[in-house]
Amino acid sequence: MRLAIYVALFLTAFQVYADSTEPDAIAIIDEMESLYRGERSKADITMIVETPQYQRQMQMSSRAIGEEQSFIRILSPKKDRGIATLKLDNEMWNFFPKINKVIKVPPSMMMGSWMGSDFTNDDLVKQTTLTEEYDLSLVSTSDDYTITLIPKSLTVTVWGKIEYVVDRKLMVPKAQKFYDDQGELIRTLAFSEPKTFGEYTLPSRLEMIPHNKEGHRTIILYETLVFDPDDVTEDQFTLRNLRSRF
Amino acid sequence: MPLILRLAFRNIFRQRRRSLLTALSIGGGYILCALSLSLLDGSYNNLIELFTLSNTGHIQIHQDNYLERPKVHKTISNYEALGSILEADPEVKAYSYRIYSPALAYSDHGNQPAQVKAIDLDREKNTTLILDKIQAGQYVSSTPNADGYFEAMIGSGIADGLKIGIGDELVLISQGADGSVANDIYIVGAIIGNKDSFERNQVILPLAAGQEFLSMYGQVHEIVLVLDRFQSALAVANRLQAAFPKLTVSPWQDVEEEFYKSMQSDRQGNQSMMAIILFIVFIGVLNTVLMTVMERTREFGVLKAIGSQPHTILLLVTLETCLLATMAIIAAFIISVPGVYWFANAGFQLAEPIDIGGILFSAFKGEMSFDVFFIPAVVLMLFALVVSLPPGLRAARIAPTKAMSSH
Repeated sequence: MRLAIYVALFLTAFQVYADSTEPDAIAIIDEMESLYRGERSKADITMIVETPQYQRQMQMSSRAIGEEQSFIRILSPKKDRGIATLKLDNEMWNFFPKINKVIKVPPSMMMGSWMGSDFTNDDLVKQTTLTEEYDLSLVSTSDDYTITLIPKSLTVTVWGKIEYVVDRKLMVPKAQKFYDDQGELIRTLAFSEPKTFGEYTLPSRLEMIPHNKEGHRTIILYETLVFDPDDVTEDQFTLRNLRSRF
Repeated sequence: MPLILRLAFRNIFRQRRRSLLTALSIGGGYILCALSLSLLDGSYNNLIELFTLSNTGHIQIHQDNYLERPKVHKTISNYEALGSILEADPEVKAYSYRIYSPALAYSDHGNQPAQVKAIDLDREKNTTLILDKIQAGQYVSSTPNADGYFEAMIGSGIADGLKIGIGDELVLISQGADGSVANDIYIVGAIIGNKDSFERNQVILPLAAGQEFLSMYGQVHEIVLVLDRFQSALAVANRLQAAFPKLTVSPWQDVEEEFYKSMQSDRQGNQSMMAIILFIVFIGVLNTVLMTVMERTREFGVLKAIGSQPHTILLLVTLETCLLATMAIIAAFIISVPGVYWFANAGFQLAEPIDIGGILFSAFKGEMSFDVFFIPAVVLMLFALVVSLPPGLRAARIAPTKAMSSH
């Protein structure tokens, strides 16, 4: 399942959407997913990780081509500066400049935390298409569409249920709630603070709250977001470039 | 001196050969008991001492329930202030600070999980036997080398697994206390222990390097203490717990519960062996005392015939045995002191030293303590008293005619 956040992290271009007059769950989800899908993008992001023990803030730059290729580099704090993540299709590598080492993220680490945040490596890589792996049902209110996604039988998914809330007026995601097989709410991803990036208005603040870890949350703030920039090219998404110092 | 006491003394010295035999049996029993007790207690104590000094120490101090559920953020932050309190404690011989974290260790030849342990190098070498465990290389310095890299000491499991030796690079990756990715390069400075050692999968770093690696500036996970005597661990731990109510103070019995329990059952095994030794001594003493009294049946008949009360005869027999036992025990004590002293200081040298986690256990040594001398004395005294009662009673009850006609 690809959540807006993962794509948002490696953002692609917006797709112009038409105001949906006939609410159809599949169409809405596809639209939401494609919101963050595009040819090329470049973003400056602040990530704040909060736990009862510590709070950590990281500045990063991200660039992406489509949803298959993305590249994130940590700019601050100084201790982490230069740590980079490359994603190509379903594979993922981290580069640590201090030890000059590229480490592939093994399948066993996919559910592990990405850089100590509440997002998992899997969140960044997973290629599941929501509308293919889940059955959808739609409830409309005057403000929102709430789409409930239940895994199709014989499909192996991480979640037992996802609730996808979409702002009807802006046609942007408002929240995603992830439940386990027992129906227990495990984590919530909330979208807020719409901001205009070029021609488009998108939520600029994403907040992930894991409900099984009290006092933990991760906030992502989009400082800038540029679609189809000229300086994002295919040759940047290579292991060689991952190793390059900057 | 009361008449009965004089009589008892006279009887003891009247038949010197007989008394000497009884005294030898009691004294021999005492020496046997004292030496076995010394050796059993000694080997038990040596093993605990060796084990605790190898790594655990006698007492450990942690934040919260770090011992049961270690988490990188359960740290002691004011550790140097605590250290100065421990410094002033007369019962604390030495202490050291430690940090732990699981990590992935990389070399050019592969990677494997490792346990990172950062230690206060100057304090640790006075606290545990870490210096004795260095198999290759040298105890590393607490400051970075000329190239800016800290040196690390690695367990033999890491050295073998990653095919690295002294001077090679070692890369560690872990998660810092602030959630960041901890990653750094170290140079192997020493190899610690062997493949059976506790340290086989450890990477030992200087404390400052560990704090930097895990972003744990000014914090540690553990304070390890060594006392003058491991036996006082429980009492000192309780006292320190009262002094530091916000921290958890654990004696080695809690830290190494499994080891403590196996030691306890081992000690029970030792006690049954002691029981067998005591039983043999008991039979020996019973035999000689019984013979002594039986031999004198005619004499007791005469005593009764001239009007001695049965209880006087019983008292006489018991008193004689007890007096003899006291003299025998005093003599045996004097003889056994040098024996036990030798056991405690030299001990039995093992032809082939036993390797316990990289530390060589080369001699079985005894224990020299008050108990080693006192317990056998009490036990032998009781034995003498108990074994003198049945023949004494028999002598007291016997009819004079029957006694005088016996041979």
